[in-house]
Amino acid sequence: MATVEDSAHLPHDAHGKPGGWARWVYATNHKDIGTLYLWFAFAMFISGGVMALAIRAELFMPGLQFWQPELFNQLTTLHGLVMVFGAIMPAFTGLANWMLPLMIGAPDMAFARMNNWSFWLLPPAALLLMLSFWVPGGAAAAGWTLYAPLSTQGGMGMDLTIFAIHILGVSSVMGAINIVVTVLNLRAPGMGLMQMPMFAWASLITAYLIIAVMPVLAGVVTMVLTDRHFGTHFFNAAGGGDPVMYQHIFWFFGHPEVYIMALPAFGIVSQVIPTFARKPLFGYASMVYATASIAILSFMVWAHHMFTTGMPATAQLFFMYATMLIAVPTGVKVFNWVATMWEGSMTFETPMLFAIGFVMLFTIGGLSGVILSVAAVDVQLQDSYYVVAHFHYVLVAGALFSLFAAVYYWFPKMTGKMYSEGLGKLHFWWSLLWFNVTFFPMHFLGLAGMPRRIPDYALQFTDFNAISSVGAMMFGLGQLIFFYNMVRSIRHGKEAPQLPWEGANTLEWKIPTPAPYHSFVEAPELKAGDNGVILSMQGGEHH
Amino acid sequence: MASRTDNRILLRKFLLIALLMFGFAWALVPLYRVICEVTGINQLVKAGDAPEENPVAGVPVTLDFDATVQPGLPWQVVPLVRRVEGRTGEFIRVDYEITNRSDRRVIGQAVPRYLPAAAGPHVQKLDCFCFKEQAFEPGETRRFPVVFVVDKALPSEIGRITLAYSVFSLPGREP
Repeated sequence: MATVEDSAHLPHDAHGKPGGWARWVYATNHKDIGTLYLWFAFAMFISGGVMALAIRAELFMPGLQFWQPELFNQLTTLHGLVMVFGAIMPAFTGLANWMLPLMIGAPDMAFARMNNWSFWLLPPAALLLMLSFWVPGGAAAAGWTLYAPLSTQGGMGMDLTIFAIHILGVSSVMGAINIVVTVLNLRAPGMGLMQMPMFAWASLITAYLIIAVMPVLAGVVTMVLTDRHFGTHFFNAAGGGDPVMYQHIFWFFGHPEVYIMALPAFGIVSQVIPTFARKPLFGYASMVYATASIAILSFMVWAHHMFTTGMPATAQLFFMYATMLIAVPTGVKVFNWVATMWEGSMTFETPMLFAIGFVMLFTIGGLSGVILSVAAVDVQLQDSYYVVAHFHYVLVAGALFSLFAAVYYWFPKMTGKMYSEGLGKLHFWWSLLWFNVTFFPMHFLGLAGMPRRIPDYALQFTDFNAISSVGAMMFGLGQLIFFYNMVRSIRHGKEAPQLPWEGANTLEWKIPTPAPYHSFVEAPELKAGDNGVILSMQGGEHH
Repeated sequence: MASRTDNRILLRKFLLIALLMFGFAWALVPLYRVICEVTGINQLVKAGDAPEENPVAGVPVTLDFDATVQPGLPWQVVPLVRRVEGRTGEFIRVDYEITNRSDRRVIGQAVPRYLPAAAGPHVQKLDCFCFKEQAFEPGETRRFPVVFVVDKALPSEIGRITLAYSVFSLPGREP
């Protein structure tokens, strides 16, 4: 019998939920915690977005308009940290919390109380990051990568950032362990590993990556901390240290981190596309193996972020070819998504639009990544706006679009209401248009030589920057459509049927809508096919 | 199917992995050093680039020092050493003493000459009072170093070099 730590023996009323604030502060229910994660991630997305708009406002034209360069650097640094650790990662963890137990037939996450702690560590960490703007010297301004020796200098904003990263690291490692144990131990009978939905596979592999690399980040920022305050010289050349070593350790974390933000997106899209193409996912097994090989390869390519640090040519060639190799499993995935749509009877509801938008734009970002992987080209483009364009194509049009797809896709299951399809479509087309207006010109800026992380620029970059800034403001405005749609639909939306999507056939759609507070209290007997498709289900009790 | 103990065992395993990875970050520090040493990646100075054991392996050269002042000017310029037996490639330092014998503030500029003139391009001065204009208070005396190397490309027929300074006043520049 599958059991859930702690909540199974809590003296709670199995049918009710605690009321008021206690429901959220003492939350052990995976759905409540998932909801908390998602709202937290949205709040961070708005905060990071406001910083992005502040950056774009300054860059609308040359010269210093709004911010001094010091504050500008703080904005770019915190924008990156908040979006990566506050928005994207918690959003994926929140979705995994919400949907994983439903998709694999588990009663809850394996460690319900640890789950509570994983979430409630996030707000203090976010608070530390935000407060650091108001301490003497301001927030960290070394860029989100916190490169030494910049990060070994500076005021206490950097210390607050380091502590925030420690807390976020503990939180995400605990969240990841929870996901791994849930997937490995709590699957319902009949849900074998090779029948699991791709979203479960992606969450599982991502969780392994988090467990492997978040502690490395914690280690390297601890070294920065001891260099700052306790007289060590890990990164101080004058004391026998080496600042380049910081980059090696950081990117040993940092490259797998890229896939921590991408693999769950692949998982979501692999659920959404088969649903709306009304066809089984093409090449399920190859999807699983591709995801795993991307994860393994991600540990062998870190130095492609460091081609200009003076590596020997052999090392550059190794990291260049290893990086290009990642394009193979990624290409397999893109091919499989397209093949899934091929001759499908497709409909284009909002989740599908975002999923298709993801496939197209993520592929553009992937291809600019292949261009950057060529060491000889990267030397030219390192730290230019081309890089900014590249990683916003994979993180905004990649991770963020997949998150929108997921929220629209599972919204009826979570809330029991339908969102407004019209507003959803408007949100998609608006975001698609202004995303490209914002980020496509950045390719040209980078190729023309505009460096990243600068508050002011040479005159010839003006036009593209102005276009990009207008795009960013409009893109930001468009996210209010999403917020309005969510809030209005939760309150006044139409009741959703149990199966709002004709082609949806994974386990979460076999239970009532909205999902009962305690689902699969008794594990169901399943017969499952590829990608979590449920062929038959017996038993399974909900309260 | 899993029991509570199974969950706990897995939890401990993964916590251990997380701790090991934290340790791994720190282990990367000595590892990085060893890899750099073994492969020589981080050695910015290669064995062949190292400075020679005895940098003064050049040929002997005799250096005479002299100074002249144009008639009517208030300067007195004296090299404190008249002759040095040096070698090419060796750092040589001599001091000059310059006095303003007038009762005015003057600004002067020294100009070096070499005899034979062919030796000129081979005298590499690292520091010299002739690099810039010098201002003197009335009656002031100051010492200036001249540091130079005679490079090893010096033609072998030149065994003796005279370094002579002439000092000129720059009247237009006087305050």
